[in-house]
Amino acid sequence: MEADATNAGVGVRTLGGRLAEGRLVPLFLKELTQLGRNRRLVVMLVVPPTIQLLLFGFALNPEVTGLRLAVVDQSRTPESRQVVSAFASSGSFVIPAQFASAEQAGASISNGDADAALVIPFDFAERRVRGDTATVQLLLDATNANTAAIAGGYAARIVESLNRSLLAEVPRAARPIGLTTTVTLLYNPGLLNSWFITTGLIGTLLVLVGSLVASGSLVVEKETGTIEQLLMTPASATEIIVAKMAPLLLLLTADIVIALSVARIVFDVPVRGSLALFGVAGILCVLSGIGIGTFIATFTKSQQQAQLMGFFVNPPIALLSGVVTPIEAMPEWIRPFTLVNPVRHFATISRGVLLKGAGLDVLYPHLLALVAAAVLLVGISAWRFRKQFG
Amino acid sequence: MKRIVAQSRKELTQVRRDALVLFLALVLPQILLTLFGTALSLTVKDVPIVIQDLDQSAYSRAYADAWRQTLTFRVVDLGLDEQPSEALDRGVARAAIVIPHHFERDALRGVPADVQILVDATDANTANVMRGNAFGVSATFARSQRLVAPLPIDAEARLWYNPGRDSMRFVGPGAFAVTFALFPPLLAALALSREGEQKTVIQVYTSSISAREYLLGKTLAFWLVAVLQWAIGVGVLYFFFGLWFVGDPTPFLAGTVSYLFCCVAFGVMVGSAIPNQAAAIQAVQIVGFLMSFLLSGLIFPVANIPASIRWISYFVPARYYIELSRDAFIRGGGWPAVWHIPFVLAGIGLVFLLIAWKRMRRMQVSA
Repeated sequence: MEADATNAGVGVRTLGGRLAEGRLVPLFLKELTQLGRNRRLVVMLVVPPTIQLLLFGFALNPEVTGLRLAVVDQSRTPESRQVVSAFASSGSFVIPAQFASAEQAGASISNGDADAALVIPFDFAERRVRGDTATVQLLLDATNANTAAIAGGYAARIVESLNRSLLAEVPRAARPIGLTTTVTLLYNPGLLNSWFITTGLIGTLLVLVGSLVASGSLVVEKETGTIEQLLMTPASATEIIVAKMAPLLLLLTADIVIALSVARIVFDVPVRGSLALFGVAGILCVLSGIGIGTFIATFTKSQQQAQLMGFFVNPPIALLSGVVTPIEAMPEWIRPFTLVNPVRHFATISRGVLLKGAGLDVLYPHLLALVAAAVLLVGISAWRFRKQFG
Repeated sequence: MKRIVAQSRKELTQVRRDALVLFLALVLPQILLTLFGTALSLTVKDVPIVIQDLDQSAYSRAYADAWRQTLTFRVVDLGLDEQPSEALDRGVARAAIVIPHHFERDALRGVPADVQILVDATDANTANVMRGNAFGVSATFARSQRLVAPLPIDAEARLWYNPGRDSMRFVGPGAFAVTFALFPPLLAALALSREGEQKTVIQVYTSSISAREYLLGKTLAFWLVAVLQWAIGVGVLYFFFGLWFVGDPTPFLAGTVSYLFCCVAFGVMVGSAIPNQAAAIQAVQIVGFLMSFLLSGLIFPVANIPASIRWISYFVPARYYIELSRDAFIRGGGWPAVWHIPFVLAGIGLVFLLIAWKRMRRMQVSA
């Protein structure tokens, strides 16, 4: 036990001594020059992340407008036309065609020509006149579960407001509505999905680009054999790996700035909290990515192999993060896996800082999780590298 | 023709001998398919909410119970001296319901009692669904407690094709299409760019095979691999997603033949254009996969994509195949709904192959 402690002490002292000898700094500078000369790498750091942010931000739009509604008005009365025009003027539905029977409207849904159908029965006006509740039928194509849920909600709101105005016409004898609901949307009142996507996607990009670049730059040295030359120098494996990671970290930090600028300028994402906290979380994400990349590099012999290995690692990181789809929508058994994903924690911090204006007092558990992930991933990969080449 | 068959047999032998490629070809697509299916759902369950009951009456408790009974929401406790908005700031709840003072008295008197609902709209889509649900819970409660007069109009919604609004059923066919937009082209691109990278393509140039035969041989080989992947994928859809053909499967089968051809042709095009395996992988990943993931209607309908980039989706094969597989597995519209798709896909595939041929036909090493 004591001997261990002394050994550790000696270890720290020798590491300090090496730093003082100044071997790490020249190595670091060598790596930085090498990276700077690599035009393709610099392009890779800037172009794909920017394009992906733009594509994801613009293309993933859940807004449901212009639903095609097939109308079957069997009543053909002023009362029924009132319902049809309430749907038509809502802005959520467009009415491409009227049909004579529910079967025909159903066929147009099944051909994909309509998303929903509204059927107003023969006795609609009669029941209205008698003061009974008149029922209309709404057929929804639930192939897309999400769109159907939202379309159903829109229809309910249209009918509710129509009811409210119809009840207002009735003399006060009828019982008034005793309950109203006011919904206030916080943090993102315009319901802009791009705010949700881009704030999380920055984390995915930092991890994925970090791992790609790290594995690439290490594997190239393995492929061309220059790693042997490095190992022949007095530098230790630890120094080599630290000198390899540090410049990457520096370069990828620029990616944090680029990504945030795109989100800010193109999508108008607000910055309501501390940018420093966001930056720290971003750096931890980059470190996790570099760790993953180095880890992959120690297992592979060529760039092509390293990239194929990425197919095992990247999809779970990207998908089990709550970046594109909410974690609450995943099956329960898979949710615990998201807890070990650094991107998930980054997304929470990023959304907390940028959209909610939350601070460290609220977000510290996620920051700690990110620190743990980064330390663990960098530690394991450095250990594997040392074992392989030390 | 004989040379085409010989070329593709050689290709298949190579695939069989490479363990990594074999794994990529047969196992990874199915893993990704299940992962997509589980992770890409949008139907939220157990969303945490807090309720602040300022009235503490029988009525307000009944209203709170109405929220507890939904499957979408899960009521978590609000701290003693915590404001509802703080719970949203801390992220412990996604919505907060504030029941006002005198809720019971007002409701019984017929004075509108206003329930305040704060929704964390960070996730725009979930917020939209939660807003719809909130109106629904209140309306159902009001009706059950006879707080409103008999309504003049009642809308009765019926969900067709997917009555349980099961998201897996929706995502399954889409994930199926996107998986095949990634792996068959990846294998084909790797095989072609390897020949370019290792310069074995020079041997092809000096042999008696023509560029046309060479490309068609490769396409045929990887098309066969893709068919095998596809067959396993259908098994995954059946056992994992519980999906099977509804109605006539022939349009789907015809479309599959051209879709797989189209995907492989894309890979052949990329592989013949880029004689570097690492770069070819990236090209397939970014162009093929990303486009299929984002511009195909996998998560949100294509109609929602802004018009300025929506036109790109017409060139994304997965867009058509998603439509086709959703029809085959969920809607069952059959030929009248999707007759054009097999032709469109075959057309796009031919264009890819033509581009590859234009590059290869001189069979010269470019300096």
